[in-house]
Amino acid sequence: MTTLSRRSVLRTSLGAAAAGTLVRPYIANAAATTAVVWWTQGSAEEEDISFKKIVAEYEKASGNTIDYSITPYAPLRQKIVSAVTSGVVPDLFQNTPAEIIALYAWQDKLVDVSDVVETQREEYTETALLTVRCYNNVEKKRSIYGVPYTVGASMNHIWRPLVEKAGYQMSDIPKTWDAFYDFFKEVQKKLRAQGMRNVYGLGFQLATIGGDSNLRANDFLIAYGGQDIVTKNGKLHLDDPKVRKAAIEMLTYPTTAYKEGYVPPGAINWNDFDDNNAFHAKQIVMDIEASLSTEVAIIKNRQDYNDIVVMGLALSNDGKPVPAQQGSLCGLIPKGAKNVEVAKDFLKYLIQPRVLNGLLKTGLGRNLPAMPAIVKNDPWWLDPKDPHRAAYVHQGLFGPTVPPFWTSNPAYAQVQNEHVWQTAWSEIIQDRATPQAAAEKAFQRVEEIFAKYPIAQG
Amino acid sequence: MHGSDFAWAVAFAVPYATVFCAFVVYPVGYALWMAGRPSLYADLIADRLYLSTVVNTLVFVGLGVNIKMFLALLLSGFFLRPRGWIRILLAIYILPWALAAVQTCISFHWMLIGEQGLVDGLLSALFGIDGPLWFNNRWLGLGSNVIAYIWKWMPFWTLIFLAARMTIPRVIYDAAEVDGATGPGSFVHVTFPLLANLYLICTLLSTLWTLGDFTTVYLVSGGGPAGATEVLATLGFRYAFDASKPALGVAAVMSGLPVLIPIVLLLMRRLHTSELQL
Repeated sequence: MTTLSRRSVLRTSLGAAAAGTLVRPYIANAAATTAVVWWTQGSAEEEDISFKKIVAEYEKASGNTIDYSITPYAPLRQKIVSAVTSGVVPDLFQNTPAEIIALYAWQDKLVDVSDVVETQREEYTETALLTVRCYNNVEKKRSIYGVPYTVGASMNHIWRPLVEKAGYQMSDIPKTWDAFYDFFKEVQKKLRAQGMRNVYGLGFQLATIGGDSNLRANDFLIAYGGQDIVTKNGKLHLDDPKVRKAAIEMLTYPTTAYKEGYVPPGAINWNDFDDNNAFHAKQIVMDIEASLSTEVAIIKNRQDYNDIVVMGLALSNDGKPVPAQQGSLCGLIPKGAKNVEVAKDFLKYLIQPRVLNGLLKTGLGRNLPAMPAIVKNDPWWLDPKDPHRAAYVHQGLFGPTVPPFWTSNPAYAQVQNEHVWQTAWSEIIQDRATPQAAAEKAFQRVEEIFAKYPIAQG
Repeated sequence: MHGSDFAWAVAFAVPYATVFCAFVVYPVGYALWMAGRPSLYADLIADRLYLSTVVNTLVFVGLGVNIKMFLALLLSGFFLRPRGWIRILLAIYILPWALAAVQTCISFHWMLIGEQGLVDGLLSALFGIDGPLWFNNRWLGLGSNVIAYIWKWMPFWTLIFLAARMTIPRVIYDAAEVDGATGPGSFVHVTFPLLANLYLICTLLSTLWTLGDFTTVYLVSGGGPAGATEVLATLGFRYAFDASKPALGVAAVMSGLPVLIPIVLLLMRRLHTSELQL
């Protein structure tokens, strides 16, 4: 038996340390062509299959390796926050949630990917490019910090059989904003009169959690004329009476509908998929959702799939088209990533129109490509045999769109993260505050947040 | 210690010290560093949810722990009875604890989810009435969290007290019976005094665990409506991951330290000074 002495312990320790030093370069070399990628799980299995297929094709074509993990939305969000906070980051992740591109760009935590976007610049919609052009507060300038590949826009999703059961036709639905949603109040009344006591006309997300309720607030704000709450130069315009009026109306309509009993009571606690679940359960006649996830999730049930009607946003109350906020899924490369070049190379591959089209088509078209030429050149996207896709393309790609407010100033991302407007909804619904009083409180909070994000003009 | 003895001592101590530093000193130090800025606490106080969250945490821990421990103590007496059907009942009773917390808490959430939940569904089907919206009201939501928490964790503590009761020698009860202490009297004069120290230590320990309990509130009420039932653990999580403010999240959790530290000190004192009672 060997006797353990102090010298032998030290010798062994030094030996182990030396071995570690010698081994490390091999690991680094092996990693040089490997990018660690964190991807968001799709609503349907096909979306994940599609991504894996693209990865396999890329690996074969490039010789590089993509070490990917596919994670559901909420846990991925937690992973990203933890990684960026600790500094131990992957080489590429999606903007989960969308607004982190603006917050991390502000904090100088993202790699400038203008060179990647440049390879397909002519193909992109203008809005998609604006969505990834964010302000860096360290460098005091805007640049492109994400590589967009899909876009999405809010759409109305309606159960046609429920509308017809109430004695209406789809063509009876009014075209202007308030009248459009008022129509579903009447549908609810008629259905209730027929004994459907648990059905609700409107599926508004009114919770102080998740991302969908932020999209709903923005939809209503824009529809009521508050589009200029933040202008392209990042300035807040709550001093504009038109914006203030729109914000108060945005706080009033959904909360009044809720208090009158046209929105399910549980909607104040709904997380992002709960409105989809309520819609699938036919608890609500209509829902608003910024993708075709509602339909894609039940695509194997052809009866239900065909019974849903997807419609673009209604016109404003004065009859003008309401631009939809065009959210974008994009790839972000965090600063500190070890294999930036491989991550960029993979993104360049991914956004080639042929590759991107394949990715989104295999994923059943839940999201739209960020490049209009793709849908123009491939009849699959506008195929009239599919009841939903064409309507989605017309609203999300060919219709009027605007980028999210936080692209102009990340302060609005913080407004959304804190759910300032939704808190005002809650105060109106639960604490019986007037919309004016709740709005004043919200305005004050929004101004406080914007004061922390000054953007150099010029 | 000299020579090889010292080397052996170092060899044994180093792995423990390494693990301790890596998994205790570093995370705690990192958290303290993250939550070290005084401005974070000013932000906490300014947040509309923070003070109500502190109240919720105190109510959740105070009611949850004490009701659970007291009922567990009583039920341990019931499960001590040597009957076959009681043993079968015990096996069923411990199921919520034996199952993963995610399953049990989500089950509870689904039972109470309002118009689509089992409880309100039954009320509607059997009596034609609309049940309450459990998670739309702060106190109903908080009550649901407390009940789900008790339901989940009471079996564990019942087993602890059951094991403790089984160690009390029968002769003590026989002697007490001679002195006239039977039924509730034997519980008051024999069982409880003998279990008092254990009961206190278990209560302190459970309080420590419950102050950091995230799962119950996150999965049962989800902190809703509008954050009205958040506790410090879930609020910290919201700050860190929903609002992308990790330092504020850690600060929210760290703000529970003024309560945690005295409990730890009290627990240590009880463990060091008490004599074995059983």
